[in-house]
Amino acid sequence: MNVVIDRPQARWLPSRHHFALARLLAFVQLRWSKGAGSPTPEHLILSIDRDQSAAEHYCAAMWTVLTTASYIAVLLPLRMPFAFFIAVPLAFFAIHIPVVGGGLILRLLAGDENHVTFVSVGAMGMLFLWSAYVARTALWARFVAWFFFAVVATNAVSWLLLRLLRAQVRTAEERCVL
Amino acid sequence: MTRTAWWRRFLARGVFWRQVLRFGVLSSPPWLEPLVIAFWSAFFMVWGSARRGIMRNLTVIKPGSFAIVNFFRSYRVFWNYAWTIADNVRFKELRTIPDWEFSGWQYFQEMQAREGAILLTAHMGSYDLGAHLFSETSSRRIVMVRAPEADPQTRAFEEDHAAGGGLRIEFNTRATDLAIDLLSVIREGSIVAIQGDRVMGDIGFLPATVFGRPTRVPAGPFALALAARVPIYPVFVMRLGRRRYRLVTARPIELIRSGNRDEDFARAVGQWIEELENAVRERWFQWFTFDPYWPEVAA
Repeated sequence: MNVVIDRPQARWLPSRHHFALARLLAFVQLRWSKGAGSPTPEHLILSIDRDQSAAEHYCAAMWTVLTTASYIAVLLPLRMPFAFFIAVPLAFFAIHIPVVGGGLILRLLAGDENHVTFVSVGAMGMLFLWSAYVARTALWARFVAWFFFAVVATNAVSWLLLRLLRAQVRTAEERCVL
Repeated sequence: MTRTAWWRRFLARGVFWRQVLRFGVLSSPPWLEPLVIAFWSAFFMVWGSARRGIMRNLTVIKPGSFAIVNFFRSYRVFWNYAWTIADNVRFKELRTIPDWEFSGWQYFQEMQAREGAILLTAHMGSYDLGAHLFSETSSRRIVMVRAPEADPQTRAFEEDHAAGGGLRIEFNTRATDLAIDLLSVIREGSIVAIQGDRVMGDIGFLPATVFGRPTRVPAGPFALALAARVPIYPVFVMRLGRRRYRLVTARPIELIRSGNRDEDFARAVGQWIEELENAVRERWFQWFTFDPYWPEVAA
């Protein structure tokens, strides 16, 4: 098991975050924060896994469902805000398309294994293409699509910064873990 | 296969949903996971008997609560249950472990240092995940006792996809043989983990009063502690958030032989119920009891 024991500040290890933007923010917190912040438990085991951050994943999930709901809302023959209220539950169905569809196809092609990475790339790819389409329209949802691309661009810049800072990131992580 | 058998896989406790869960864990990107779980938690609200069971239990845990509020509270129970079973499958399939905090660490260490002990827990948080963590981090061997899955296909599926490792699982179907086995396991210095909050199937029980209402708790852990002369450690695995759990170990229950067996049991059960009530009061949304717990609530 890849874990850190009794190091509360290890919550902010960039290795525990998935997206580059979240990793960069975690690095800033790890490098410059004074203490753990929350009360320290009697004994703590922190898993080193890139999908461990709750805040990051809840934010990404909210962003995905609101973006998808906006794109669906403009397709519905209803006026706002009713269209949006109907679109939110439909968005929950829509996000199952890449998960179920992609998962089943990969299972047929590659067998009964872990397909999370491929499904993840596929789902983000679908959202990217849908956003590219909506961004070029005159609909109000184009602002949502532009925001989507702004976040993607910020994430790309964060990735570049992390590449430049990789030595410092590694040092900060080692200092925290050892 | 008969028509009835074919349909059984789609019942709430049927194997189909276990297969769906495993498929979801192996296909769902982590950043979509909260949405997938929110959706399926809502879907399982149509499991009427479980929803009503939760709502009836909540009327006792939260006296004076409104039915409509308990309806939405039952969603919170399903939401926590979905995360818990997903975390358990993720551990089995991908060896992904969540973060763990420990409370009552001195009791936990004391339990590990002892030559044999009983770990008594409830249907809260993730019993399976806690037991697996324990087996991988402790020098002591742990034997987990649990009720078997009611559905034969589900049972076979769970056996095929067991996590392996150092954890031994025993099913409480063969009471007499198992009691002898467990006694020798404890005497070898191992820890036996048992769920002590509800009586399932045809097993021995003791009377108890939980949240002021009469009910029954399994007699096995208390009889075993008395026979093996070891303490019982109440342990609760509580989910704190996404991939984050707290393992709470409470003050051990010592079964002292006073010459009156019933009184000895009553004292021990009383202490256990006190710990159980505290845990359920704090985390009612993680007490995964989908049937009415109290006979008078079920009526």
